[in-house]
Amino acid sequence: MQRKLLEEIERGETVLEARGITKRFPGVVANDGIDFEIKAGEIHAILGENGAGKTTLMNILFGLYQPDEGEIRIGGQGVHFRSPLDAIDLGIGMVHQNRKLVPAHTVIENIILGHPKAGRILNLRKTGAEIEDLCEKYGFGIDLKAKVWQLSEGEKQVVEILKALYRGAKVLILDEPTSALAPPETRRLLASIEAMATDELAIVPFITHKLPIVLSVSDRVTVLRRGKVTARLNTRDVTETSLAKEMVGREVIFRLERAQVEPGAPILTVENLTARSDKGFLALKGVSFSVREGEILGIAGISGNGQHELAEVLAGLRKAEGGKVSFGDKEITHCSALERWQMGMGYIPAERVDVGSIGDFSLTENVTMNYYFDREFCRQGLVDYGKLCNLTEEMLSEYDVAAPGPDTKAKNLSGGNLQKLILARVLTRKPRLIIANLPTQGLDVGATEFVRNKLIEAKKERAGVLLISEDLDEVLSLSDWVAPIYEGEFMGIIHGDECSRESIGAMMAGSRPEGLAS
Amino acid sequence: MTIGSYEFKLEKRMVLRNWEAALISILAIVFALLLFSLIFLFAGINPISAYQEIFSYAFVNKFGLPLTINRFIFLLLCTSAFIIPYRAGLWNIGMTGQLYFGALGAFGALMALGGKESIRAELNPLLLIPLMLFAAAVGGALLGALAGFLKGKYNINEIVVTMVLNFVAYWLVAYMIKEGGPFMNPGGRGESFELPPSVYAPLLGDIPFTIFLALGLALLLYFLFAKTRLGYEIKAHGLSPAAARYAGISPVGIPILVFILGGAIAGLAGYHYFAAVPGVYKIARNYGYFGDLAFYGIICGLISQGNPLAAIPITLLFGGLSVGGRFVQGKLHMSFGVDYALLGVLMISLVAFQFFYRYRIVWTKIAKESPDVGVSG
Repeated sequence: MQRKLLEEIERGETVLEARGITKRFPGVVANDGIDFEIKAGEIHAILGENGAGKTTLMNILFGLYQPDEGEIRIGGQGVHFRSPLDAIDLGIGMVHQNRKLVPAHTVIENIILGHPKAGRILNLRKTGAEIEDLCEKYGFGIDLKAKVWQLSEGEKQVVEILKALYRGAKVLILDEPTSALAPPETRRLLASIEAMATDELAIVPFITHKLPIVLSVSDRVTVLRRGKVTARLNTRDVTETSLAKEMVGREVIFRLERAQVEPGAPILTVENLTARSDKGFLALKGVSFSVREGEILGIAGISGNGQHELAEVLAGLRKAEGGKVSFGDKEITHCSALERWQMGMGYIPAERVDVGSIGDFSLTENVTMNYYFDREFCRQGLVDYGKLCNLTEEMLSEYDVAAPGPDTKAKNLSGGNLQKLILARVLTRKPRLIIANLPTQGLDVGATEFVRNKLIEAKKERAGVLLISEDLDEVLSLSDWVAPIYEGEFMGIIHGDECSRESIGAMMAGSRPEGLAS
Repeated sequence: MTIGSYEFKLEKRMVLRNWEAALISILAIVFALLLFSLIFLFAGINPISAYQEIFSYAFVNKFGLPLTINRFIFLLLCTSAFIIPYRAGLWNIGMTGQLYFGALGAFGALMALGGKESIRAELNPLLLIPLMLFAAAVGGALLGALAGFLKGKYNINEIVVTMVLNFVAYWLVAYMIKEGGPFMNPGGRGESFELPPSVYAPLLGDIPFTIFLALGLALLLYFLFAKTRLGYEIKAHGLSPAAARYAGISPVGIPILVFILGGAIAGLAGYHYFAAVPGVYKIARNYGYFGDLAFYGIICGLISQGNPLAAIPITLLFGGLSVGGRFVQGKLHMSFGVDYALLGVLMISLVAFQFFYRYRIVWTKIAKESPDVGVSG
């Protein structure tokens, strides 16, 4: 019966509003008196840096957290969510940044999991037809009988959206919906979001910090900074620069100057390297390149084209199937990860939560990950945690990591701060070669700028940098050489000055330019 | 929930201080004893006098106290043997088998140097006791290494392997000590040959020197985890094998190493019970009873949350209650199994109270006019 709150909503009416929402966590005020509203049929973007309180606010609107102060109104009536179940019953659906699906089950099984209509006996044919209708309406192309583990990140997201829609969501909250998607998937998703918004039932706020996406689809933007609303704007009145300024609180430079450094001797030489993926097929099909001191080689490619395997082979975490890797003039094809750290390589992994850090460890212990083997911090098998604690404190201030102190657990850090810590930990070693795998993925504008500047600084200090990125602009603005990768092969290695967005984009999609030496 | 004019809420704890953990454990013990007094009441026994009997026998009585301490040493070693792999995220369910192998190692070394020939053999204890200890550790470590190797190299579930090896070890001991086995007692009786008195473990009063071994190892483990590089590597692997691998910590080496260390310590527990406890000095016919007792190492390890120092009071308590419980059962003519029931209630209570390691109850006084806008779904 609560359902009815949203049943008779007209386009343009306010469906959901939050008044004076305040939520405190030990040590921080995540949301500080936030007012926020969504109208029927609008796409409302919530913008903010990492840790600005976006996710907290959405979790409150979805009933995952209870606000300390303030009230939530749906269709004009005050409500109190005891849990997400209450929110779902009232027509709110949420798609989280981290997928919450059962990998071994099919798409349709995942969609009806926990659905009240599913009952004890499953009528998969009837439900299937209903879900097919939804797909057609909003332009989702997905095989309902596929198992979830076979799907790409974008398809998994579609499953989550379908799940919410099938439960009757009228307000759909998408948390960073494009952070894990390849560009074509992003385009398709945005088209579907627009289709849902035209349908007067679907009201779609979403959270992101990718400015071009905000500009391309949203109607209105609410900007959060440090837990407070700093601006409520109509998208047509804003530009990328003005939004970034609202978000960060200062001007942000989007164009970085490539630092001019005279490159030195080759620090990394790779010859005809091949490697297999986790599923056993050949993911890296013979790449050859070299990186010199004081030089950035950018590998541009859509996720899943072998760049991840390349990074892992170079870091010593995956076996090379064939080929040769040299560091300076020493062959290291079969060296362990530890040996590579010790000889001056530094790896910044893409999976910063699962691989790059240990959530239950303190920040000091996380820093120790790259120092426990150093004679300076470990003598006769004893780790000098006191010294490491000081080092961590220095890193926190130098890299501007927002954390209460070195004893904080890493799991309490936001994504951007965690990445800054990982970066600090690796770069402070002064590695001669840095392998940075998706170093700015999922980071906000301010943190992205920071990370990129740090990589440029490292280059100036004559480190060789191998940058792997899906962000074409990032690759183009940072790299001295660009190597587009497609299905495990380089489509060429092109000097940074000779790259155009279009040519690199085409090569990422598999076209090999004529007349270019690879 | 509201009681009177107070509202009670559960709140997630961000940090758990050591004294808080200790306080919660003490409350859990008190709760368990209160709960168990119902059983005494049903049996028509005054719980207060029953507990008096239990505790005074276990911790004061001159016959009970040595029993308690011997069990304490045994349990503490088994708990340490569990804790090392546990900190690496691995479950050692095989202390039983490892301690049997430890006992076999110790008696094997003894036999090799002529200990079986005569009960009056004059052997050099300064040589033989360290040698037996070493052989016991090697025996346990061998069995542990097998599980660690299979886990590290082929990712075969260590719980299953250690569990199954317990049976292998049990029957191997049976073969060794029964009729015709190499360790058979000259008099038969289904037990092993006896230790010559010349190599009895040195005593401190009634207590074998192995108490220093057990306490020393617990301290050493604490130091290992708090200060050393190896301890760091074990903890990192335990919390996130993928992150540890990234940092250069071997995903094969750590499982093998922790099971070797754990197995070796369990092997020492085998030495302790069969070659150092006064009055035993042989692999007794009921060796399976002590094998089963080793499982309390898992419980104590879990209750102490992998903290080797916290394991000391907990194993002392468990050792004492198992002795005291058995005693009152006889003295007050209660039915069989009081000791196990008491340990069971204690265990459940301690585990249940660990809920408060993660949550705490907070209460606030409700203001007169509560801004209740709640329309619940």
